[in-house]
Amino acid sequence: MRSLRRFLARLTNFVARRPKDERLDEEIAEHIALQIAENLRAGLPPAEARRQAVLKFGAVEAIKEDYRAERGLLFIESLLQDLRYGLRALRKSPGFTAIAVLTLALGMGANTAIFSFVYGVLLAPLPYHDASRLVVLNETTPRVGNVSVSYLNFLDWRAQSSSFSQMAYVEKMGFNLAGAGVSQPENISGDSVSPNFLSMIGVRPFLGRDFQPAESQPGTQRVLLLSYQLWQSHFGADRNVVGRSITLDGNDFVIIGVLSPDYRSVEKTDVMLPIGVWATNNPSATERSERGDSTVVGQLALGAPLAQARAEMEGIAARLAKEYPAANDDFSVRLRPIRDAFVGDLQTEILVLFAAVMFVLLIASANVANLFLVRGAARSKEIALRIAFGASRLRIIRQLLTESFVLAFLGGALGLALAFAGIRLMMRLIPQDTLMGASIGLNGAVLLFTAGVVVLAAFVFGMAPAVHSAKWDLQAELKEGGRTASVGAAQNRLRGMLAVAEISLALVLLAGAGLMVKSLYRLIKVNPGFQPDRVLTMEMYLSSQRYSKDPAVLNFWRQVLDGVRALPGVESAALGNHIPLTGDHGRTDITIEGMALPKPGNLPHPDVHTVSPDYVRTLGMVLQRGRTFTDADNETAPLVAMVNDKLARQYWPNEDPIGKRFMWGRFDPASKDAPKWITVVGVVDDTKMYGLANPSRLEVYDPLRQTANNDMELVVKSRIDPSALTSEIRSVVAAVDKDQPIFAIATMNKIVSDDVAAPRLTLVLLGLFSALAVILAAIGIYGVISYSVAQRTHEIGVRMTLGAQPRDVLRMVLGQGGKIALAGIGIGIVAALGLTRLMSGLLFSVRAGDPATFVAVAGLLGLVALFACYIPARRAMRVDPMVALRYE
Amino acid sequence: MQGTLALMILKTLDVLGPLHGYGIARRIEQISQGVLAVNQGTLYPVLLKLEQEGAIASEWGASENNRRARFYRLTKDGRKQMQAETRDWEQTAAIIGRFFEVKAEDLA
Repeated sequence: MRSLRRFLARLTNFVARRPKDERLDEEIAEHIALQIAENLRAGLPPAEARRQAVLKFGAVEAIKEDYRAERGLLFIESLLQDLRYGLRALRKSPGFTAIAVLTLALGMGANTAIFSFVYGVLLAPLPYHDASRLVVLNETTPRVGNVSVSYLNFLDWRAQSSSFSQMAYVEKMGFNLAGAGVSQPENISGDSVSPNFLSMIGVRPFLGRDFQPAESQPGTQRVLLLSYQLWQSHFGADRNVVGRSITLDGNDFVIIGVLSPDYRSVEKTDVMLPIGVWATNNPSATERSERGDSTVVGQLALGAPLAQARAEMEGIAARLAKEYPAANDDFSVRLRPIRDAFVGDLQTEILVLFAAVMFVLLIASANVANLFLVRGAARSKEIALRIAFGASRLRIIRQLLTESFVLAFLGGALGLALAFAGIRLMMRLIPQDTLMGASIGLNGAVLLFTAGVVVLAAFVFGMAPAVHSAKWDLQAELKEGGRTASVGAAQNRLRGMLAVAEISLALVLLAGAGLMVKSLYRLIKVNPGFQPDRVLTMEMYLSSQRYSKDPAVLNFWRQVLDGVRALPGVESAALGNHIPLTGDHGRTDITIEGMALPKPGNLPHPDVHTVSPDYVRTLGMVLQRGRTFTDADNETAPLVAMVNDKLARQYWPNEDPIGKRFMWGRFDPASKDAPKWITVVGVVDDTKMYGLANPSRLEVYDPLRQTANNDMELVVKSRIDPSALTSEIRSVVAAVDKDQPIFAIATMNKIVSDDVAAPRLTLVLLGLFSALAVILAAIGIYGVISYSVAQRTHEIGVRMTLGAQPRDVLRMVLGQGGKIALAGIGIGIVAALGLTRLMSGLLFSVRAGDPATFVAVAGLLGLVALFACYIPARRAMRVDPMVALRYE
Repeated sequence: MQGTLALMILKTLDVLGPLHGYGIARRIEQISQGVLAVNQGTLYPVLLKLEQEGAIASEWGASENNRRARFYRLTKDGRKQMQAETRDWEQTAAIIGRFFEVKAEDLA
């Protein structure tokens, strides 16, 4: 009851802000006055009477503090007071405040921006039910690596495994969307899935119904779910869309619903349909050796660990390989948590950058700590005075920490603005599909992180100076001059150590950036096997509904090529599929004539490109031997092909490959049909199909007219800016077939550039962060040296009076800075040797400990540090001994 | 110490009627022969605490040298509180006293 009353009184005082300090001041004054009167009556002289009275009353500040503590809500009150005091102190030194806030904002902004990627890509929960039980399965073979899953193998996996409670097949498809209500024909992407797929991952349609079990059977009605985005963009978010139909590849599909807006898939999905639709009249659904573009997603049985599932699946795959060697020899299975499928290749990049920004923040904090220490030295008297008046040391520390928090908070707020701009910039620089549908932005988790960083930074840069300030020897501080050798030395040591730490952190960052520079330089120097300049590419897929016969397909392509070649500005035009660096690919087994027949799993398995005659010239590839295709290589002419250098060297070493023969698939000596041998007529350079950083594979080229293909890329070499041709090419295609979509339009230069986008962005950011680190570290060492020069002005004056030359002074100051720089660089090199190893996955033909890079960055940092010391050193040289000696 | 100081304040006000801070400090110093000989200022936070608890009330009045001084007086609640605490003290003191007088043979 009493304590409640007391609390209420306190709360009222706090809220009403009653000026009770005035009452206390008056009471204290009166108290002391009465005591003085008493002392005077006792016969003391006035001065003594006063002194005794004050002594008897005790420490005024401490009593006021207790009184205030009793009166209001002490903690909040003193916090507000500290805040006001802190703001006032910061306003009084705007230069210090601006530099500190800006430094922190850069560090925190970079941290926030990078963390938003860490969160979005690596940490954000996947929008699936029980995602930790979901596993992505694919097949794998040593010749290629990971490959898609054969549908028949999937059916056996599902039937035979017990570690999975469910499994679903997901087949990627593309469709031409044209017809009523579509302004421009386009190609959309779709997933054909087992009917249990959505319920297994815990996603319910936003509108309409889920698939039904019967819809896994071939011949099922053509139905589909729209993606939320397609529903918005093409159907005006019309809720009555369910039951309407949509024309894909010339077939009508009934819309049974709309996917939920937060459905997330690794690649874009515009429509989703049941696997039965895909399986209808599809040889891939009945031929075991067919592996289209598919994955399998499985849900682990409750309590079944991944390792157990992996062991079981590998056993099943081994049995299937033995049972169906023609399709499965040397094929196994790979399982990985679904999270890994979404993280992709970006994990190392993101974590390296995250470490880098942490370093930048540490350096920034060290710099601000340094500023605080210098400022603390200037404020030492003020602090000593406060301690003398009874403020507790803890109180002083708290007050200085509050100042740090105010600074950190301001830095964090500005940092958020920087991060917001930075994230938008980075999203523009990074190819969208590399993020796999991750949403990146300043969400709650990221803001929480930033708040954490603010608090952490405030402690990092605030604690040392605060404790240091509060520790100062009171007597010494209050003495004239306020300087004691021992305290000064301890402070200088601390500041020197901070500078050493900054330089070593900067060296680690610089080493990382240096390695990336070298790596990227080597990467862009890689010969891709073609000339990307002034080449435009675009894809067209002819639906088999419209173009069911080879002559129709070939006729379409011929008309398009003729039209495009006639356009002004076109140097040459050709068709080809699976062009390099696009991710498109098609591979098949071949048998080389006369080779000793290997096991089925060990046949040569080259990438196959179907191309028209001018392909080699248009892409600027080099023909090493023989000839390219001509129009004479047609349906009735002998079968011919070109191979790449790698294939020629591997299978016809030291022989002329021209005139040698091979056939598609495995040669079967028992077959009654004569084998269809294909004659090699040309050898071309290897291309970098799978990325500049990856080795070339075996490649075979066959003429379009002998392998009519309905999914091709048009490649156009122009004399002008190739993208200017896009609309004219569209008109040419529309003149042949107005419903034919064109998609994946890109210049070859863009395709090459996107291939190195991730390492390039990593380099740009790492370069930026390390430049920031070097600048901050330089400012750090500059601050230490110039402060020390200022402190030693007197000493330098004495030395010069005693005959020291400016040169000696220069050497002395540079020596002091050099020691700091050397220590920092030494520690930095050791740390960098350990840490850069973590980024070796990002490096292309550069070792993580590359000595040349390390020497270069150490030299660079050393020079910068020396220059930073040279400025105060010159000031020291110019010290006028007479002025210096009067300095005291 | 704060507890005893509070009780001393209450008792002083009970016996002497309204007093200003200096008056209370002097009485306590006299009676206790030493408590509050130094650090008299510590009285004020305790006065404020008692006031906020409602045990005492205060108002401005004129001091001996005719200046404004804050006078404290006991409230009804304060008197009750003092009586209760006095009883507690006496009981405690009696118990402790008995323990001091105990000799070994008394417990045999």
